[in-house]
Amino acid sequence: MAIDLKAIEQLATDQSSLKAAAGLAKPTKWSGVGVSHDGALVWGECAGSGANPYRVMADLRDLGNKCTCPSRKFPCKHVLGLLWMKAEAVTAFAPADTPAWVSDWLGRRRAGAGTPKAPPNVAPAADKDLRAAQRAEPEQVEDPKDAARREAAAAKRSEDTERAILDALDALEQWIGDQLRMGLSAFVDDVTARCRRIAARLVDGKAAVLAGRIDELPGRLLALPPGDRPRGAVVELGKLVLLARAFRATPRDAEIRRAVAASETRESVLSNPETLRVNARWEVLAEQVQTRRDGLVSQTTWLLNLDNDGPRFAMLLDFFPASVGRRGSVFTPGERFQGELAFYPSRQPLRALLVARESAEDAIKAEWPTPETAVADCLTGPLLAEPWTLEIPVLLPTGRIALDDAGHPWWRSADGANTLPVAGSAEGLLCGTDLKRTAAIWSGNRLTILATQTSWGRIGGHG
Amino acid sequence: MAEAIYDAMGSVLTRWTMGSAAAPAAAVWSAELGAEPAEAELRLLALSGQFLGVAVTAEPPLELRVLPDIPALALPTVPEALRPLVRRILAAFMETQRKTELLDFLAARGWTCHPAEWMPAANDEDAPDVYAPWRDWAGIAASNSVVRRQAGDQLTADNWEDFWPAARKVALSELRRSDPEAARTVLEAKLASENADVRLPLLSLLATGLSEADIPFLEGIAANDRAPKVKAFAASLLARLGKGPAVGEDIAELSAFFSVKMKGLIRRSRVIQFENVKTPAQAHRRAALLESADIASLARALSLTPQELVEAWSWDVDRQADAALTSLVARTGTDSLVAQTAEAASQCNASFFLDTLTPRLAPGQKSELAERVLRTRNFSFDMAKTIAGGTARLENPLTAPAGATLLAALRRDNAKPSDELTELFALGLIASRTAARQALERLNGAGLLQGDPRLDMLRLNTALDDNGVKP
Repeated sequence: MAIDLKAIEQLATDQSSLKAAAGLAKPTKWSGVGVSHDGALVWGECAGSGANPYRVMADLRDLGNKCTCPSRKFPCKHVLGLLWMKAEAVTAFAPADTPAWVSDWLGRRRAGAGTPKAPPNVAPAADKDLRAAQRAEPEQVEDPKDAARREAAAAKRSEDTERAILDALDALEQWIGDQLRMGLSAFVDDVTARCRRIAARLVDGKAAVLAGRIDELPGRLLALPPGDRPRGAVVELGKLVLLARAFRATPRDAEIRRAVAASETRESVLSNPETLRVNARWEVLAEQVQTRRDGLVSQTTWLLNLDNDGPRFAMLLDFFPASVGRRGSVFTPGERFQGELAFYPSRQPLRALLVARESAEDAIKAEWPTPETAVADCLTGPLLAEPWTLEIPVLLPTGRIALDDAGHPWWRSADGANTLPVAGSAEGLLCGTDLKRTAAIWSGNRLTILATQTSWGRIGGHG
Repeated sequence: MAEAIYDAMGSVLTRWTMGSAAAPAAAVWSAELGAEPAEAELRLLALSGQFLGVAVTAEPPLELRVLPDIPALALPTVPEALRPLVRRILAAFMETQRKTELLDFLAARGWTCHPAEWMPAANDEDAPDVYAPWRDWAGIAASNSVVRRQAGDQLTADNWEDFWPAARKVALSELRRSDPEAARTVLEAKLASENADVRLPLLSLLATGLSEADIPFLEGIAANDRAPKVKAFAASLLARLGKGPAVGEDIAELSAFFSVKMKGLIRRSRVIQFENVKTPAQAHRRAALLESADIASLARALSLTPQELVEAWSWDVDRQADAALTSLVARTGTDSLVAQTAEAASQCNASFFLDTLTPRLAPGQKSELAERVLRTRNFSFDMAKTIAGGTARLENPLTAPAGATLLAALRRDNAKPSDELTELFALGLIASRTAARQALERLNGAGLLQGDPRLDMLRLNTALDDNGVKP
């Protein structure tokens, strides 16, 4: 099924979309590009500004399309880029079975949803020009004085931000002291409102990440049994004190800044020579999507490194506004691929960006690795480097779920040396077979199982 | 050191909970906390938080219960490559009915669902028999009982307790097929000790191989059982054996709603005419009487045999009467009368009521009926599926009128991507593997994309080896 460039031009909402698409219509930006055997559907994965790639798909019969990026433009530049590559045969679209994520979209979409319609006051197509979009803009030569002025302004901004954060952290410590003075019993009872207030203050003080963490604190605390909440409150507030002190000691430390203020951009991680890059075989353990109190939706993809070099786990983390609506999953749990990940600089690299993804024939059969560290060390070791960490991914040895009198699940290692409480409930297969290897998140008091290997094959854990 | 910290933590936590300063209670860290009270509290908080987060985790109870391994079933689970497809079909249809149809389909083809995709609950009576071990596993998981010995032997009254309920029901069902007398003897000894929810499905097993030898036992149940539903079911089994309860005034009143006339000049034949249903009250009364009657007694009151009554029935004249007759036969008719009635109803519009009769038909009979109504009565695939369930293997269903209707609907200009989901699922369920493959080719030719999720059931049918026992 052919598509011509005129149709892409008409489909684009404006010239800037075409311009952006021209930059994306390059094979190096894409992976997993394919076309259905009947030639009607095309798809591909495009690296965007987030940690996860965007999944892009289009139906060439009516140009219906979908992309998992959060852009409000429809179609977005990724869709236009994909169609452009198809129209100009920029890269080979390998005929393949339609992936499940494309089929899922197909089942949900409305007929003609992507058909280009001409609204009455539409601008003439000539306003959007594909060829013009391809032309490179002449590079503007910058005046050295301007550059110096800009650098000085940036340094001033950075200083202002740092001061604002330090003020906000003072307010935070003051607030923590107040909670202790007023009693943790009252804090637990009124935790949501109190946390909201200080979180708002931290947002004003440019400590947005810390604000988000405190906004989610009530959720974590109230998930504990009532009797355990004062202890939970001490742990949570104690970590905040540690983080505030760490920031004061090294305000320029990228990792601490990431935990307090904001993360580096994708570009700065990729251009940083210290960035750890790991090319390995990865398995998608799970994807967690959570709507946060600050109106953002966080999308966390947990990956397991099936090779022996580099960190055992990787976490791809993206945020997008809840108002954008439901976003398609980027990965399917259990999926395996060979790929290069760039880890954010850290004492314990975990958060990463997906740089490139290749097909992975030999990843399909790879076994899960053997846990290298004793369970107790897995749970506590990372706290030595980052004592404010809330979630620690762990790879557990053979074990089994056991139930207490109330039916609450516990993971118990085969040698009986470790017994850990499991979050939520465990039902069905998870409780009825040996768990040969288990990938889970330890949050200091509960284990959230991401996935596990059993004699029945791989099974997913919680949600 | 850790012990000292641990000892201090109790009073530190208590103080903070109440809102008083805790640093004085943590002498072990006095050097680290310093002299300034507010700073000391924050330092203590940081230290205690770390200690409590690392060293104090929930203590497991002394007694933890480990559930037994989920047993392997008699049939293999679907191949790994097809699990996502099964998962997607299960997710697309939330209704239990559809799930049951898919499970029946898989079992008929010699496969079972992977336990990560689906597992039955202990009381899931609709789950195919092959899942009985998983039902019992779910029963063990939900109860606190210890695992009982599973007897591999034939079920007897003595080893009754050794079987878990679902396995026991399957064993009883097998015993009833091979030795009806022995199965009844076991039930005579054990039925009364079970609760009503269990008694009813166990008693329903007697429908297989029903004979006059069962009459005394059934009469006892019909007279003495504590549960009305169980009594009613025993009465319906008795009615199938010609021992219906409806005699006397009620049956005389009911028979007055029907009259037997002769028609035809050369080949004279009997026809049933419907009388006295001019008012809603009369129709209501007739329906109430039919609900409590049995087919043999009604036929006797009209001086006919049940077979003659069904043969003389005037179908498509009185829809309510048609519906009542099919349900009366389903409840109280013999197996052959059920087959005869289904056959007669399938020739006319009353075929809409076939679904009341089909649960009592053998799989082969169901498939034949579904095939016939598809070809002659313009039934939809969904209705054919209601009759045949997941065990049919129809050849070329797409060439039936429903196929032409489906293709026309899919080709409509305003067709939506979610159209005909029900019909395509039903087609995928009732078609043989070869027919499913042909249907996929035809539907792709008609413009449906290969990746269209509406074709999932057809794709599963095509991809799954048919290892089942054909009826």
